[in-house]
Amino acid sequence: MILDILERSLRERLPLIPVEALWGDCRGSRMPNVQPARLTPEIARRVTEICPTRAFTTQEKGAVLELKLSYGACVGCGRCIEAGQGAVIAAQSFPWTGVSKEGLVRRWDVGKRAEIVAALPEPSLARQQIYSLVGRALNIRQLDPGSCNGCEAEITALTNPFYDLERFGMHFVASPKHADMLLITGPVTRNMREAVKKTYEAMPAPKIVIAVGACGCSGGLFEGSYAVAGPADAVIPVDAYIPGCPPTPAMLVSGILRALQTGAGKLPDVERAGAD
Amino acid sequence: MTIARHSGNQETVGERNHASIVVPLDRGGTPARLVSLFGSLDHAGEVVVRYVFDAGEAEYHIVQRPFDGSLASIAASVPAAAWYERELHDQYGVELAGQPDRRPLLFHENWPDGIHPLRKTPGEIPWTEREYPFLQVQGEGVCEVAVGPVHAGIIEPGHFRFSVMGDVVLHLELRHFYTHKGTEKRFEGLPAGAGTMLAESVSGDNCFAHAVAYCQAVESACGVQVPPRASALRLVGLELERLIAHIGDVGFLANDVGFVLAHTLASSIKESLLQASASCLGTRYWRGVACPGGVRADFDSGKIRDLANAVTEAARKFAELAHIILETPSVQNRFESAGVLKREVARDLGVVGPVARASGMDLDVRRDHPYGHYRGLQLEVPVTRYGDVMARARVRVGEAAVSAGLIQEILAAMPAGAILEPAVFSGHVHGFSAVESPRGELFYWVEIEDGHVRRCHIKSPSFQNWPAMPFAVRDNVIADFPLINKSFNLSYSGCDR
Repeated sequence: MILDILERSLRERLPLIPVEALWGDCRGSRMPNVQPARLTPEIARRVTEICPTRAFTTQEKGAVLELKLSYGACVGCGRCIEAGQGAVIAAQSFPWTGVSKEGLVRRWDVGKRAEIVAALPEPSLARQQIYSLVGRALNIRQLDPGSCNGCEAEITALTNPFYDLERFGMHFVASPKHADMLLITGPVTRNMREAVKKTYEAMPAPKIVIAVGACGCSGGLFEGSYAVAGPADAVIPVDAYIPGCPPTPAMLVSGILRALQTGAGKLPDVERAGAD
Repeated sequence: MTIARHSGNQETVGERNHASIVVPLDRGGTPARLVSLFGSLDHAGEVVVRYVFDAGEAEYHIVQRPFDGSLASIAASVPAAAWYERELHDQYGVELAGQPDRRPLLFHENWPDGIHPLRKTPGEIPWTEREYPFLQVQGEGVCEVAVGPVHAGIIEPGHFRFSVMGDVVLHLELRHFYTHKGTEKRFEGLPAGAGTMLAESVSGDNCFAHAVAYCQAVESACGVQVPPRASALRLVGLELERLIAHIGDVGFLANDVGFVLAHTLASSIKESLLQASASCLGTRYWRGVACPGGVRADFDSGKIRDLANAVTEAARKFAELAHIILETPSVQNRFESAGVLKREVARDLGVVGPVARASGMDLDVRRDHPYGHYRGLQLEVPVTRYGDVMARARVRVGEAAVSAGLIQEILAAMPAGAILEPAVFSGHVHGFSAVESPRGELFYWVEIEDGHVRRCHIKSPSFQNWPAMPFAVRDNVIADFPLINKSFNLSYSGCDR
């Protein structure tokens, strides 16, 4: 029977998705994007009103009407796309993953119909650069302090043969004491708050913490609940954020790689300390 | 305790001198299966308790009682009620006379007494430190093993307290509700349409079943008829969710006995279906598809063909793989007679879904209380009676084949027409619905006032099945616990809400 399985798996076409195809891919995520050329004040106000998690907000700064989109709060319900008359569409690619909290926020000048450009995350990385980021093994500990299990389902998918996180030398470990990175999903519930602190403390420095999903980034639909302490960064320091409800495996891979790229500065410090 | 039989098919269970609640009898003359038990507030702010039973008839049997201080516990004769009664106390501060277990359920030791969020919205809640009184097994050589809440893997949090003698588990006590998010409270005041999103975030891998159950409850409250094409699309989504869940579960079971390659192949088959959903609908888990009155996304005929092809291919591969897994002698050696859940225990605790069907309980909401597009369908329900890990695996394999067949059948004859009949919300209404989710009977009860949710109660199959799991673990070696637990595959978030 074992041989049947071996024979079968050798016969299967290798489904591995090349890393270039994962980078920026967001198919199936339902994340919105704005087409500034089609923005009007009326559309900006309508999407702000209709957004159930206040991911879209508008602000009048003097004569300028500013539309703001916080991906960290977006649960991808698609109501803005329905109401946006072509000014809000489903995102075709998505570089806002594995970025800082400020990096999740985009702004548009509605009058000028143009994005108020903040530093856009680097669009892509060469394969060689990616492998140099994780040339050594990266041990990841996943922590669920209150998630609905949607993010876990997608994180589990990272180990299937399509995404195969192990190709980068990354793998999931059982103990925080073995981990370089903490992937934290969900809102932190009151009942899990102490366990989150203890898990974080158990990790050896340097620790990279990534908050995953709308709940991990902002508390999502549960922010303000009597039973919730807040998003991950209300309890422990967070280095990078991967939005989405849930983020797709491609967004998770891109986000982890980008966080390593921007957080890589941390590692040499310790190497030096170790050499001394 | 008095159990007095009344004329007809009802009996009264309750303590003397207390107002009794009526537990109907099923055809076999035993108390009907408890589906759910929950409270709500009437307009005067008084607690009303509802008991939902399945007496083997097409309609659920709902008993409603105002709480007047003398309402008695039914847990002694209906053990399935025990957790519900504890939850009722936590949510509303209602003490039922004769309640056998008064320990808090939702709130851990950091919560002070007197917080009852569905009775009164809490303000700042002070932090307290207390001990939870676990049941202790005493005797020479008995030791306790504490596991969790943080587990060694990509798993939700929960605590397991084993009392073992050597390798053998004498007793297992669960301490869950680590992921309690106050979800039922979060529904309060939401526009009825927006509640769907929150329902999708109760149990992320069964999100479509939750969305449909919520929408059906709203539709029953408002008297909306869902167009046939929307019902058919919902059926496709529900069966696809079941197929994906069962493929994943059988793969994980193989993984737990060291058959890693089989798990890898299963995870590939599962992924192919998630990708097929993403390319048809733009969502891997059918989030944002259901809404009260129908669905928000339609398929063209090309997409229907693509999805049908993906399902055919996945079902064929999975059937072959499952055959190999279940016929491998070393797998049989681990699966057979491990983690037996006896039919009597399953019956007493009102267990549902594949776990119930693997212990010889022939129940399935799709057939017994048909809803939506399942009305008028002939449905095959695989049932086995051994109650072990193998039985639960076989039930899942059988159900996956049935689901794949149903998807093909419906996709081949999709009704034409609209996909949405907008719901009109007016006045003060309530309704309920039950859906057979991949884990079993999922029950929603919704109260809507002026278009906003006033109360939403969620009975998830995991809340019902968790208390039964320790009975299957008893007398097994502790090393088999992960396998037995996986064969139940219960949701923590769905249970804790």
